[in-house]
Amino acid sequence: MDVALKICRFDPETDTCARMQEFAVSLAENRTVLDALLLAWEQDPTLSFRRSCRSAICGSCAILINGQPALACQTLIRKATATGGPLTLEPLPHFRQLKDLVVDLEPLFESLKAAVPWLLLDDRYNGRMTPEAVCKIENPATCILCGICQADLGQAEIKPAGVVKALRFALDPRDTLGKHRLRLLQLPPEVLRLFVAQLPRNCPKGIDISSAPL
Amino acid sequence: MKSHDVLIVGGGLAGLMAALNASSGADVAVLSKIYPTRSHSGAAQGGFNAVLHDDDSIEAHVFDTVKGSDYLGDQDAIEVLCSDGPQVIYELEKMGVLWTRAPNGAIAQRPLGGAGFPRACFAADFSGHVVLHTLYEQILKRGVKVYSEWHLLELIVDEGRVAGAVVYDLATARVEIIRTKQIVLATGGYGRAFAKTTNAHANTGDGMAIAYRAGAVLSDMEFVQFHPTTLYGTNILISEAARGEGGYLRNAGGERFMADYAPAKMELAPRDVVARAIFKEIKAGRGLEGHYVHLDLTHLGETLVADRLPQVRDLAIRYAGVDPVAAPMPIEPAQHYSMGGVRTDTSGVSTLPGLLAAGEVSNVSVHGANRLGGNSLLETVVFGRRAGKKAAELARKTSFSGFSMETAKRLLEPWNTLLSVLPATGPRDDSAFAVRREMATLMTNQVGVFRTGAELESAVTALGLLKERYSTLPRPGGAHPFNYALMDYLELGYLLDLCEIIARGALARTESRGAHFRLDYPKRDDINWLRHTFACRGEGGPEFSGGAVAITSHKPQQRGY
Repeated sequence: MDVALKICRFDPETDTCARMQEFAVSLAENRTVLDALLLAWEQDPTLSFRRSCRSAICGSCAILINGQPALACQTLIRKATATGGPLTLEPLPHFRQLKDLVVDLEPLFESLKAAVPWLLLDDRYNGRMTPEAVCKIENPATCILCGICQADLGQAEIKPAGVVKALRFALDPRDTLGKHRLRLLQLPPEVLRLFVAQLPRNCPKGIDISSAPL
Repeated sequence: MKSHDVLIVGGGLAGLMAALNASSGADVAVLSKIYPTRSHSGAAQGGFNAVLHDDDSIEAHVFDTVKGSDYLGDQDAIEVLCSDGPQVIYELEKMGVLWTRAPNGAIAQRPLGGAGFPRACFAADFSGHVVLHTLYEQILKRGVKVYSEWHLLELIVDEGRVAGAVVYDLATARVEIIRTKQIVLATGGYGRAFAKTTNAHANTGDGMAIAYRAGAVLSDMEFVQFHPTTLYGTNILISEAARGEGGYLRNAGGERFMADYAPAKMELAPRDVVARAIFKEIKAGRGLEGHYVHLDLTHLGETLVADRLPQVRDLAIRYAGVDPVAAPMPIEPAQHYSMGGVRTDTSGVSTLPGLLAAGEVSNVSVHGANRLGGNSLLETVVFGRRAGKKAAELARKTSFSGFSMETAKRLLEPWNTLLSVLPATGPRDDSAFAVRREMATLMTNQVGVFRTGAELESAVTALGLLKERYSTLPRPGGAHPFNYALMDYLELGYLLDLCEIIARGALARTESRGAHFRLDYPKRDDINWLRHTFACRGEGGPEFSGGAVAITSHKPQQRGY
């Protein structure tokens, strides 16, 4: 199918503000927005966007697709164009735009550090974990650090990547701090609950920790 | 000028494991062209082979691996791989890896292809992802310096040893030199050389090609693994775990055709055997729509698929429109892994002083002519760990090379010239995109699962022409931030170098062994070809020689499954 794209362009060296550039590409409807971007890139090789795995596991291609944060490689063209009109692709909001669809990810990765994002192994751990305990952590452990939840929420006081990481360790019976990790986050419980409730809305990995005891 | 005792290039499993293990004894930095958590290790699904059970044995793991390699793997290296395995698995567990558990709470294990025992430790079907993120946590804990979105451009060889690297910061478009005592390459494979591949866009063989250009020996490059089960059309990986958990392969008639090819192992025969079987079925007219076969999980039940293969299910639903609980998945083989790479010893030390390598970029060789599922993830952590320790140890005995600022300037000059070239505008007759597409199609069609002398010869000629075209392409220079066109152009150069070595190696090897199958030489030939292929850079292209295979306890036998 023929797809009209409007892609946000911004070059910090020549532009004072961002502008939209139109592209026309043709691809099968079961291909993805990333495939459309790759075709647009062939038309204008100065276009910049991150991509790698193309199977929703690396988290590189998080952008704003028709106003919604999503992974380009996980969004089918059929679905993205269902509402009609051109397909609008912009950088993630609440991040600094560095060039075109590329945003500054340093704050996202930096924010992890405040959560003490590693296991503090409890001496009493004997090498056994129940399958049920593992099951509970598997879901938050699929976080790919794509930044979509941060773009979606845009709340300054919440650093979502660190919160998900902290909750992942809070649920881990091997961790010395366990539930105390929630206090380390220094977040009012109602703010934390709201975040956890909103997380599944756009998370491309379907992370849902709303049933975790907070 | 920046300097680090040990520079690790690549932030996947092998790179991060090397960084962790080097960091206790040296000043270490990781340089990665994408953020480490974006590395393609994270896409690995199936598991890590290791002997944890009393009924299993290191000897059995060694034998399975040797046989899987079609006797080309070096048995001393395979012994190291298998013996180190269990300890590394427990180390990872204590770092926080979320291994899936058996009902008694012990680490669960699943069968993968070519193994006589269910010995793959896994985390549902996110095994690579879970370990990658755990290792990244450990890197943060140690405070290891990470240069994310920096590219390696060139290894600096001074007085016969690697003394530093020319590197490029994608965000600032600046070229710099990092002075080093030891460099560990952990840059992965070159899957993007093939049109049909499971690999990420980032997998362009940078480390292999740059090491080769600097004078390191590459080994066994003609051995390319094709994964049997990738989604038809998109080539997105469907883990071998799908068959490990009990999935069946069926042809258009609904028959489990593996009975005709590997009656004992069936779907869990090694990948080379299964990939060939699939193509033979399709060629014999028993494929669906003439192009693919089915991977059927419908008899496994929703609970098992949801618990053990959640990612496989998501991928199939999203990219193929098929819920594997309800209907079989359309699959075809595609390039997946490079058995060949930078030749190293069991400590990761390459033939070029100052340079080590670990993971897919390397050739130790533990996979020989065909890698078993679950052995590459194991290789990344076992040999990443060994290379990291060795690099730190060597760095303690090395001092920084004294190359002068003059030398540094001279090294930077061609790169700065490249950056100062303004990108050509307007329509062009040829482009890196076109050359890359032709190269990748050629590799899939003529240097794929079934090879012939005639096709390989024509591939070598065509690759030569593509290289000529490449040299005349306008260079997409310009010191712009996030100039991906420039990176793409450089990556295409790496891929073309490697394709030439792969195709010429395949043409020279007049036998069939493991993943290298010659229709015109369908038998293994131990008399002439039980040897490694070494390639090193010569005046007019790669020069090839042979290297002995280390055989300790398993004499080559007929390989059947």
